[in-house]
Amino acid sequence: MTRVVIDPITRIEGHLRIDVEVDQGHVQKAWASSTMFRGIEKILVGRDPREAWLFTQRFCGVCTTVHALASVRAVEDSLDLEIPLNAQYIRNLILIAHALHDHIVHFYHLSALDWVDVTQVLKADPKKASSIAESLSDWTGNSTKQMAAVKTRVKGLVDSGQLGPFAHGYWGHPAMKLAPEVNLIAVSHYLQALEYQRYSNQVVAMLGGKTPHIQNVAVGGVSNAINIDSSATLNVDRLVQMKVLLEKVIGFVQNVYVPDVCTVAGFYPEWFGYGKGVTNYLSVPDLPLDGKNTKFDLPGGFIPNGDLSKMIPITGQKDERWRKAVTEDSAHSWYKGGGPLHPWKGETDPNFSDWKEDGKYSWVKAPRYDGQPAQVGPLANVLVGYAAGNPLMVKWTDAALAKISTIANVKATPAMLHSTLGRHGARAVRTAVLGDLAMKHLALLTDNILKGDTTIYNKPEFPKGEIQGVGFHEAPRGTLSHWVVIDNGVIKNYQAVVPTTWNASPRDTSGAIGPYESSLLGTPIADQQHPLEVLRTIHSFDPCMACAVHMFDPSGNNVARVKVL
Amino acid sequence: MKTAIYGIGNILMGDDGIGPAVVRYLESRLPADADVTLEDLGTPSLDLPNYLAGYDRVIFVDAVAVAAPPGSVRLFTRKEIIAVSPGIRVSPHEPSINDALIVMDFAGDAPSEVTLVGVVPETLEGGIELSDAVSRAIPAAAAAVMAELARNPNPQM
Repeated sequence: MTRVVIDPITRIEGHLRIDVEVDQGHVQKAWASSTMFRGIEKILVGRDPREAWLFTQRFCGVCTTVHALASVRAVEDSLDLEIPLNAQYIRNLILIAHALHDHIVHFYHLSALDWVDVTQVLKADPKKASSIAESLSDWTGNSTKQMAAVKTRVKGLVDSGQLGPFAHGYWGHPAMKLAPEVNLIAVSHYLQALEYQRYSNQVVAMLGGKTPHIQNVAVGGVSNAINIDSSATLNVDRLVQMKVLLEKVIGFVQNVYVPDVCTVAGFYPEWFGYGKGVTNYLSVPDLPLDGKNTKFDLPGGFIPNGDLSKMIPITGQKDERWRKAVTEDSAHSWYKGGGPLHPWKGETDPNFSDWKEDGKYSWVKAPRYDGQPAQVGPLANVLVGYAAGNPLMVKWTDAALAKISTIANVKATPAMLHSTLGRHGARAVRTAVLGDLAMKHLALLTDNILKGDTTIYNKPEFPKGEIQGVGFHEAPRGTLSHWVVIDNGVIKNYQAVVPTTWNASPRDTSGAIGPYESSLLGTPIADQQHPLEVLRTIHSFDPCMACAVHMFDPSGNNVARVKVL
Repeated sequence: MKTAIYGIGNILMGDDGIGPAVVRYLESRLPADADVTLEDLGTPSLDLPNYLAGYDRVIFVDAVAVAAPPGSVRLFTRKEIIAVSPGIRVSPHEPSINDALIVMDFAGDAPSEVTLVGVVPETLEGGIELSDAVSRAIPAAAAAVMAELARNPNPQM
């Protein structure tokens, strides 16, 4: 029995630490912990709720817009404030454009290198790579010339003795299985993804005023002046420009991202058998279609024990069951207290001790839904949508499964999605669904403006006494909720229950383990010094926990290392 | 030469907010005719290449982990930055300025001139105030940025 620890060297950057106990080549026990205190919600206490979003969008440098919108939704919920349709559509477009960008970046720039062996590119035949890629989609960027140019670029990198962006990969690892040509296709698309995700970011900037910190949000709506004839406002020209940009991104998603994920899945079908983890799935409804937040384009719900037929819908922020079901437990987290607390009563008082596998071992609390751990993220979103019979979710899920079936020569079924590859597949499916919805919401916004509606804002009025609200958002990494208590117009308590808290959850009072921990059990480890398999599963969740500090460390000590004990 | 000055860091985490603070300080002090982009980028991570593409020269202001008294200002060259090899990534937050430049060098569209003006922090505990030592370093860090700008007197080149 050995213990493998993947741990950031300095506690100051506060990243994710994973401990696994390995016996006979497989993970027997696992612990996920966050090594940094993030009590930044306390900064909000005593502030004006109308300004909370300016602070919350600084929680995380990757998910700025996500926290801005969850915050205004929480304050609006506390006031039962209706939101003008234009504002809903503009916010929805920002959220969609952000997610398109985020999902593409996650696959190509964070996790694809878990599956792609860059050094194999040197053995690839560019002509053969081109013909394989062209058999998978109509994408015009797969010519022999393009593949040859990428191969030359990789050769230059290898010859220089530096692997540049790929220096941290596990090259030549026994778990790498793609054909040389498929590795070449993947690196070519890695470079193209850099360009295409940028178009999506430009849409966020056009609507949000600027990125990464958008400026157009307000409690009660948005501040985008609308005048179809004025060049200084949201006008027809800008709507057309956004359409052009989004169409480029959608083309990339449908013709490159989705086929690439299906191809990787086809070469690693055994990874449909690993990484299952907690199969309670939680997803909240999003992309509201009316001012009162009662109709949504993405359905929400809770699936107990992976049984899609038992899915319990979440109807909106006012859903009584949802409002009561969420709690956070800190029995194994470095906070005072222990037992479950509702976020409106939530406390963030640190109580640090050593890392103790049977005691407290993480700065992340353990969120629970109806007292149970739950997995959140694109897989939860897709499974809830599939269970609800959402036509776009069903269409893209079935299309992806059919493609995987062809490539892997197996019968791919929805049941296989409860896995490491299932999370990647579901993220690609969700991105394709969001692409279709981007066009829909752009059309809804355009039609509404052309009808003459220019309303963007309803003024909030804060009552005397105490009120409370919850704002949620189905973010790229899953269910995000902000819980606010306001007293006489001033914030009294604020808690953000973020997606990675659900997934990176430590054990709770009852000893129930969280989704990361559970997903690693049974994972094979070929080489303990290079636990690529652990990273594959953890990356499939798209962890996002510790951007709190961003410091340049010239010693290079701010990166993770592996210890085998 | 298309130039950007970017503050990096989290304004909610004590002295990590030094980059954004220097950007705010420079907002009213850059020459009116300076053709530069000045922006507080927060903690952009994997998004960073989006803000570097199309620029010839980028000056970053960030907190740096070096053994020196809080408030010390240290300059790092492009070569020194990319000499820091990226490690195993566990979450998308780990990629930093060095990763962004290394990725863009591979793609062939990285800015050619890069300088990092680093300030040594005293505390990174949650809070929106800078420590006294780091707060006092703002003018020196801003002066270092201006000196870098002045190294090329012809921004239109």
